[in-house]
Amino acid sequence: MTTPSMLDAAQLGHLRHWDNLSRQLPHDWSLMHGKGAGEDDFGSYRFQLAYMIYGLALTHRHRLPAAPGVFRPVIQRLIDKLLMPDVWLYWRDVSRGGMVMNAHLSEGYHEEWDPVVRDNIMYSAYVQSCSLLHDALFADERYAAPGSLTFAHWSFFWGGEEKRFAYDRDSLSEHLYWQMVENGYLGIACEPNCVFQICNQPAILGFRLHDMITGGDRADEVVAGYQKAWADFGRLDDTGHYNQMILEDSRVVAPNALQAPWVDAWCGALMNTWNREFVRENYPRQVADFLIPGDDGTISVRSTPAMNVMGQTVVNDTCDTGWVAAWASEMGDRATLDGILAHVDRYMGPTWRDGGLYYPRNDTPTDGEGHRTEIEPMTGNVLLGYARLNVPDGLHELYQQPWGPEHFAEPALTEVGRDVEVSRAEVVDGVLHARVRRLGAGAGDEGAVVIGRLPASARLRIDGQEVGAGDAVRPVPEGLRIDVAPGTAHDVELVP
Amino acid sequence: MSAPATPPADIAFDLVDHHGTPVDAGSWAGAWLLVQFGFTSCRVVCPRALTKLTAALDELGEAADTVRPLYVSVDPDRDTPEVMRAFLAASYPRFTGLTGTAEQVDAAKRAFRVFARRRADPEDPDGYAVPHTAITYLVDPAGRLARHWPDTTDASAIVGDLRALL
Repeated sequence: MTTPSMLDAAQLGHLRHWDNLSRQLPHDWSLMHGKGAGEDDFGSYRFQLAYMIYGLALTHRHRLPAAPGVFRPVIQRLIDKLLMPDVWLYWRDVSRGGMVMNAHLSEGYHEEWDPVVRDNIMYSAYVQSCSLLHDALFADERYAAPGSLTFAHWSFFWGGEEKRFAYDRDSLSEHLYWQMVENGYLGIACEPNCVFQICNQPAILGFRLHDMITGGDRADEVVAGYQKAWADFGRLDDTGHYNQMILEDSRVVAPNALQAPWVDAWCGALMNTWNREFVRENYPRQVADFLIPGDDGTISVRSTPAMNVMGQTVVNDTCDTGWVAAWASEMGDRATLDGILAHVDRYMGPTWRDGGLYYPRNDTPTDGEGHRTEIEPMTGNVLLGYARLNVPDGLHELYQQPWGPEHFAEPALTEVGRDVEVSRAEVVDGVLHARVRRLGAGAGDEGAVVIGRLPASARLRIDGQEVGAGDAVRPVPEGLRIDVAPGTAHDVELVP
Repeated sequence: MSAPATPPADIAFDLVDHHGTPVDAGSWAGAWLLVQFGFTSCRVVCPRALTKLTAALDELGEAADTVRPLYVSVDPDRDTPEVMRAFLAASYPRFTGLTGTAEQVDAAKRAFRVFARRRADPEDPDGYAVPHTAITYLVDPAGRLARHWPDTTDASAIVGDLRALL
């Protein structure tokens, strides 16, 4: 395989920011609060957590394939957060219905605590696909263990007995599959009665990953059924943009009536996994409707005015800028992506904190000269990093080309201390090449890496010099531990 | 609303067969049930599935004697026992047709997690079709779902699976 490039400072900054967010204390969601209340909308914690995991998976798969030690612990911590009740308790209320599009059905709904048992694919598919990404990328069975995906909540102050719902990657995937079957493969609803195209794509990715691990063919079956079911309604609306969703009861399709960028961008980025030609055929015309050229090659993304419903203005993090950037990265549209990144770097306040790069939330629509400045946590924390770290067809390749057993036999950085930055990690012609840099003065394991899966009689070189066992390099049960010396970056090679 | 959809496990249904006799999942003691849902006016999916399953059972030989092929209607308004008997006797005589009241059929659909929904079809003499789940189910003699196949699975793969299971 080829690695596109060594990671640059901005890419490393995004990875560090995700690592920082993954280490926040339980229930500390600093920097992640969006404009909306109640974890209802598109900037919710669940989306930020899931797309950090997707971004980490893409980076590992395509840019740092020989550094599982960078990604595995971060993904595990983010999944831990994804399972926290702060993230899914909204479902107890949303499951009762009552939104504009299902208000007439509310009497048939009841309060549901289990956040994955019915509907709510906008959450369940992320738990499913993220746990399967972990196990597929690390050849692990962590989330196959019974109860490894458990949703639990108990309060001293209210609610009586503990609520506890135990699943694992297999039981959850099985559960989602049968919901798909029962819905004629049209998809599973998000809010009751509302089946979004977007939110069923992660479930399809999850089925594919599950097939990779177990040897089944559920993804092909679901995709075939999905294609057939949506053929009755059309995947695109009359203007050529993606249909947003379908109402289960009436079979009425909701088009992208406002031509909201996030609808096309989010759907297109994800659907490229299994429907590449279709997505690419429509991309140039669709994206052209959303872009505003600026000065010096900058490009901003327009948003549609907030909806007004029942006399209320809908408060929502659209994440238009972030989703169009992510979509452009998946399409390999370098010009658009570079233009958007130039705009956000100039007008959206890139900020470094604890070694991490992000763009802090800003609710002000524009600056005095009309340049767009509004940015949501989902875009500033997650999607711009995702776009920078993705490669053309990144998700597509992740879906279509799983790693085989030969990958997991190659030497790799299986453990990476928090104080070490890894900007290169790949195996070329049997030789492990890594570039590592010590960030600060972290003690002990924080400043060390472990090379695991060592070939017999392998020789270690650091900065071109062969190195034997000593104070800084020593055998450990997992392989070879290296204490990374402070200062500039070091090139590490393991030659079989 | 999507109902909770745990995988089908213990299968239960109460229907009538194409002779008008009430039947349930225990009516064929000791047999494996090979179950296909559909409707006799179906022009493409059902004929293809029933032809494939007939070929699979032919290929299976004597082992097929332990299998009871069932064809369950999702269109009880049109698929009376008489209609199903005539339809199956003409082209798919291995199969026993099952139908019932709308409530009985709905309960059977829920038991197997089957989707079916009537929609307009100008090419149909009655003006409607009933698109439906085309999965084939295998229920073991204890009444538990043992296997299922999407309609893309070919006859030889089904034969291989049946030989391994029976």
